[in-house]
Amino acid sequence: MASSVAVGGRSARKRRPASSSQKSGAALTRTSAFGLGVSMIWFSLLVLIPLSAIIVKATGGGWSTFESVLTNDNTRAALGLTVVASLIITAINMVMGTIIAWVLVRDRFPGKALLDLVIDIPFAMPTIVAGLVLLSLYGPQSPIGVEVSGTRWSVLLAIAFVTLPFVVRTVQPVLEELETDVEDAAASLGATRFTTFRRVILPALVPAIFAGAALSFARGISEYGALVLISGNLPRSTEVVSVRLFSFLEGGNTEAAAAVATIMLVIALLAIVTLDVVQRRVARRG
Amino acid sequence: MASPSSTAVANRSQVVTWVLRVLVVGYLLMLVAWPTAYVVKHTFAGGMTGIQDALADPDVVHALKLTAQIAVAAVIINTVFGVGMSLLLVRHTFIGKRALSVLIDLPLSVSPVVVGLALVLVYNGRFGWFGPFLEDHGLQIIFAKPGMIMATCFVILPLVIREVVPVLEELGDDQEQAARSLGASGRQTFLRITLPSIKWAVVYGVVLSLARALGEFGAVKVVAGNVGGETQVATVLVQQKYQNFQQETAYSVAFMLVFAAVLCLIVVALLRPQDSQK
Amino acid sequence: MSIEIKGVNKMFGDFVALDDVNVSLPTGQLTALLGPSGGGKSTLLRIIAGLDAADSGTITIEGTNATTLPPQKRNVGFVFQHYAVFKHMTVAKNVAFGLEIRKRPKDEIAARVDELLKLVHLSQFAHRLPSQLSGGQRQRMALARALAVEPTVLLLDEPFGALDAKVRKELRDWLRRLHDEVHVTTVFVTHDQEEAMEVADEIVVINNGRVEQVGTPDQLYDEPANDFVMGFLGEITTLNGVMLRPHDIHVSLTPEVAGAAEGTISRLLRVGFEVRATVLTDDGEEVTVILTRTHARQLGLETGVRVWVTPAAGALTMPSLTAAAG
Repeated sequence: MASSVAVGGRSARKRRPASSSQKSGAALTRTSAFGLGVSMIWFSLLVLIPLSAIIVKATGGGWSTFESVLTNDNTRAALGLTVVASLIITAINMVMGTIIAWVLVRDRFPGKALLDLVIDIPFAMPTIVAGLVLLSLYGPQSPIGVEVSGTRWSVLLAIAFVTLPFVVRTVQPVLEELETDVEDAAASLGATRFTTFRRVILPALVPAIFAGAALSFARGISEYGALVLISGNLPRSTEVVSVRLFSFLEGGNTEAAAAVATIMLVIALLAIVTLDVVQRRVARRG
Repeated sequence: MASPSSTAVANRSQVVTWVLRVLVVGYLLMLVAWPTAYVVKHTFAGGMTGIQDALADPDVVHALKLTAQIAVAAVIINTVFGVGMSLLLVRHTFIGKRALSVLIDLPLSVSPVVVGLALVLVYNGRFGWFGPFLEDHGLQIIFAKPGMIMATCFVILPLVIREVVPVLEELGDDQEQAARSLGASGRQTFLRITLPSIKWAVVYGVVLSLARALGEFGAVKVVAGNVGGETQVATVLVQQKYQNFQQETAYSVAFMLVFAAVLCLIVVALLRPQDSQK
Repeated sequence: MSIEIKGVNKMFGDFVALDDVNVSLPTGQLTALLGPSGGGKSTLLRIIAGLDAADSGTITIEGTNATTLPPQKRNVGFVFQHYAVFKHMTVAKNVAFGLEIRKRPKDEIAARVDELLKLVHLSQFAHRLPSQLSGGQRQRMALARALAVEPTVLLLDEPFGALDAKVRKELRDWLRRLHDEVHVTTVFVTHDQEEAMEVADEIVVINNGRVEQVGTPDQLYDEPANDFVMGFLGEITTLNGVMLRPHDIHVSLTPEVAGAAEGTISRLLRVGFEVRATVLTDDGEEVTVILTRTHARQLGLETGVRVWVTPAAGALTMPSLTAAAG
């Protein structure tokens, strides 16, 4: 197996003394080098090799595969819808998520603990069930007379549901650590509440908000389960890219599927890099 | 109202507080709480009969069993990997460590369908990179349990690591070094010192990954194929039953999955305070 | 000789932590590794314990070459600056840890833990968790834990660094008395020269990864090998281009001694029983002088008073190489 040779080569290099950074950890012992080897093989077999297989498959046919995928109206529409919907919801999450985190940290009222639990439901709930859950209130038999299933609103709704926790959960701890002293100090210096929020609190939260936003965006563009039941999957209208990808797969068109998957991976990777850059900036500031 | 420690909080005008409070409660109610409650209502519209009928369906029972098996297997594998990887990332230096810690988070951002596709491309028995070789040696991965376990492992990969790494970092290696200086071997140090200290983080990560594993849909659906009741997990069954107009059954199974998920969350919520006491 | 360190070098990246260190630490004594932060003394201690590995050189403990031995085989007791208590174990369990690892019989462990907790005055806390102890108590527990395994050498890394001044002073006296009782070879790292001089039989001064001087506290104070050691062990000032201690300066209101420098008192500060005067000499030197309060009062010192300053008889002086400091 070509892969394990590559992995072995890497860990052999690692075993050379490489204590470059002070105090950040010991060089590898024999046991830990073995552990690293096993972990890397598993990680490669599970994640790295399969993901490279997608890229190899997609680029195997040269540009033409990408070209035919991108010139296909249905695929382009699905990509456009997914990215735009994810951006809209990410923007909403940045605002709503911050407000929710604020209320959870600073406000006190009965039932707040329950609210805290509700935030996590979208993360723990099976995505297909999330779709079903939304259908029960916003589907054809809507008890409140709001039916969005089969429209683009349903795409927004489903993405908003599954991405709800991300901004809240990244902002919350930062807000918890932020001392109210700072606010008192700003107030004592004559700042109004709005000014205090804008000049003192918001700047401290911005990195966390963006980190959560990147996660939320990445999750939004990759969502599948929550959307299959509620969106109706109408091509050029409510079909998102994951659903499109799945139909390529079912049709046995793996080249096209791989090409679409590669585009999605690139978008996801961009989100991760953004997240990492932001987090590093936070670390430097802290 | 009179909270001596935080005047800024106390002085806040009541209007804004109430507006924010109503906004948040309303948003969460409409988006999450009410729809979730509605599923419960739907399920028990006819009393317990919905659940009883569903559990009488052999497909349902099989799917639930399969889901449990896959989830437990994936969580065990991933916990071992996650704890080991966390130790390596926090306690050791090696080339490529930074890159690795970024890559570990990758599965969070990859669409489940892409995960399925990726595994199919490498492990399917006809044209996969390793698939034909493995099948010749009697190991079928795609359209079988190993593939479904792998897909689940892929999706939950970072969850344990993300819980354990910050705790390990905060813990520092003082206690481990003290144990070493007192004569403990690496294994003794891990079992007696490190593991008890990260215990709650590990449990927290395990519960989160279990919730996620029970509910994985897209990735498992792709690698499982549509081989009738053989490789159908609970989530896929929900979709199929719903689309076959067996809504009763769909809602009942969905309820059971939601129940498991919420149970996991409650366990986590109960664990949290204990964690912060430490 | 209990611990022999020969030709030890250690680099962190391109930072030289230890540069060809050679020291012998005698058996049964209390030795202090003294020096400024980042000077390499903690690194040396960790290399002795096996917690860090030297890039080159050898470590011999009681005649055994320990250079490549892992920490758990060196039979050293190590006490960490931030205690490194096992948070999830009771005080008694913490102390028993090393003995349990060595698979000693249960009743022997119980007896030994009992004895050690008595020694460190923590008997009544045996079943508490470390989080219920104060900093000083935790450090005493850590010391008992290190002593439990009857180590060949006891190593302490800034053991009192994280404690407040009063507790620090108490523990310092207590460590000295404990050492007189137990007589285990002890090496401790500190950046506090007062602590080192008060507690240690012998002091090794380390700076910039090098050993500057080895000697008893008196030797170091009276015969410093260089200006660094002199400056590090006590306050210094410069008078007529010579370094000396501020309390070794004789002040008079008349030019009694030939060659005395004339100047004006520019600042006078009273701290408890002592008076610190800054004299600005006519040559433009700022000289710090320390006198007792009684002496200063007898002379009638005040800001603006003209004085003559000169090294006192028998004062330790050293030519100043660097620019005058403080």
